[in-house]
Amino acid sequence: MVDGYGGLGPLTLVLRGLNSVGRATLLAVQILRVVPRPRLYLNAALQQAYLMGVASLPLVLFMAFLGGAVTSQQTGTQFSGGLPLWVIGSVLAASVLTELGPVLTGIVMMARVGAAIAAELASMKVTEQIDALYAMGRDPVAFLVTPRVVAGLMVFPLLTILADGMGILAGWGVGLLSVDGLTSADVIYGMRYYFRPWSLIFSVIKGGIFGLAITFVACFVGLEGRGGAEGVGRATTTTAVATTLLLMVLDVLLVPLLKAF
Amino acid sequence: MIEYRNLHKSFGDLKVLQGVDLLVEEGETLALLGPSGTGKSVLLKHAIGLLEPDQGDVVVDGVSIAHATPDELKRVRRNLGYVFQNSALFDSLTVAENLWLAQCDESSTRLTSDCRADAIELLGRVNLEPEVLTKYPAELSGGMRKRVGVARAIASRPRYLLWDEPTTGLDPVNADNVDELIFDLGRSLGVTSIVVTHDLDTAFDVGDRIALLFDGRIRAVAPPADILKSEDPVVRQFVRRNRIHTDGSGLRTKNEQTHA
Repeated sequence: MVDGYGGLGPLTLVLRGLNSVGRATLLAVQILRVVPRPRLYLNAALQQAYLMGVASLPLVLFMAFLGGAVTSQQTGTQFSGGLPLWVIGSVLAASVLTELGPVLTGIVMMARVGAAIAAELASMKVTEQIDALYAMGRDPVAFLVTPRVVAGLMVFPLLTILADGMGILAGWGVGLLSVDGLTSADVIYGMRYYFRPWSLIFSVIKGGIFGLAITFVACFVGLEGRGGAEGVGRATTTTAVATTLLLMVLDVLLVPLLKAF
Repeated sequence: MIEYRNLHKSFGDLKVLQGVDLLVEEGETLALLGPSGTGKSVLLKHAIGLLEPDQGDVVVDGVSIAHATPDELKRVRRNLGYVFQNSALFDSLTVAENLWLAQCDESSTRLTSDCRADAIELLGRVNLEPEVLTKYPAELSGGMRKRVGVARAIASRPRYLLWDEPTTGLDPVNADNVDELIFDLGRSLGVTSIVVTHDLDTAFDVGDRIALLFDGRIRAVAPPADILKSEDPVVRQFVRRNRIHTDGSGLRTKNEQTHA
């Protein structure tokens, strides 16, 4: 059974994977049981949402600025001479709304919020604070997990909308400065020509799904933490890797939803 | 009454508990002794359902912990206070909020003035000033954290108190203070207590009976005086070695002082 996977055989790895999926499913069920009782978590969720939103907003906006700026410049460079300049506006709006806004927000939140949640919960686990909650008859899922997941669901879509706005404005402004002959009228015409309201709704839905996925995985990995400071570090790294992969997989899986309407 | 029935627990290949039978009577303080790593804390955690046994059961107040429903378990836990080895205070919350979590039920969402008054009374019981309420655990000394941990454990007025290594890491003066606290709380609140320790001073100071966990089973359980007189070589070796560390001239327990 020993091979190159840290001394574990493939069967063991598969069994462990299935075991983790089972435990994650149980956690999801526990969260769903708490959700209909907002009195148990709403205050904490609003507090978490405020902390997540305020702390992450500057970074999200900065990333969105860079994303928008790159998009308009590259479109201008690659299409110049071949296509009318207003196409820059179309590409900018479509790219930012359907891809860059939600994905860049997800990446920032994964690093900023996901890692923090995993580290905090893992630290609470290894110092017996989670056990202390159980011992007091308190439900850690209601007290710690549900507020964070609900906060993620509330904050990510809002941040995504702001990132969308910043990305488009940045792309517009930088495009005017860097692409010869491009005017605001071109950008507006291009954006309006191909704009579909569904793109905006899709962007918000994508943000919400990313928020749910990142906070849920971070909470799950954090609660599984064990083994002192090393365990906290491991939980943080695992969350970063798992949420990066999940974000990209979800990004691919959500494409049919964009085409659906 | 807490009753351990043929409790077995392993972690991987490591067999920690191999058939523990132990009865803790109503109102008594049982000191659970044993070398480090023999599963004393593991035994304690089974009583509150933090660990699931591989075999056997723990019965608290007539409720089988291994087969309890979540609601039954919650009810049992509200009657149990657990003092963690490293206090396990919530470090992102103030002392007041830590106590409020234990005092109030889940539907309570904020600190009320009643909670604050109760918290001050609880702190008084463990000889801490009300000023501590606004502090975070990181701002407290080890002894103070331990006392806040005790205050939190007794906040729900439990009928049972489980103490996990209450004096570990404390200097002798603070350790004595905690011993006195265990003894006084046992008497004043009339709670049933299990005190897990490898410190013989603590065991003899607070225990009505002393149990020795060795090789995954209860090797001996008896009043302190009988433990001292035990002919069992394992008990004798454990007691003698600790006595050399602590006293050397013989131990005079609080129980003995009370009865003298």
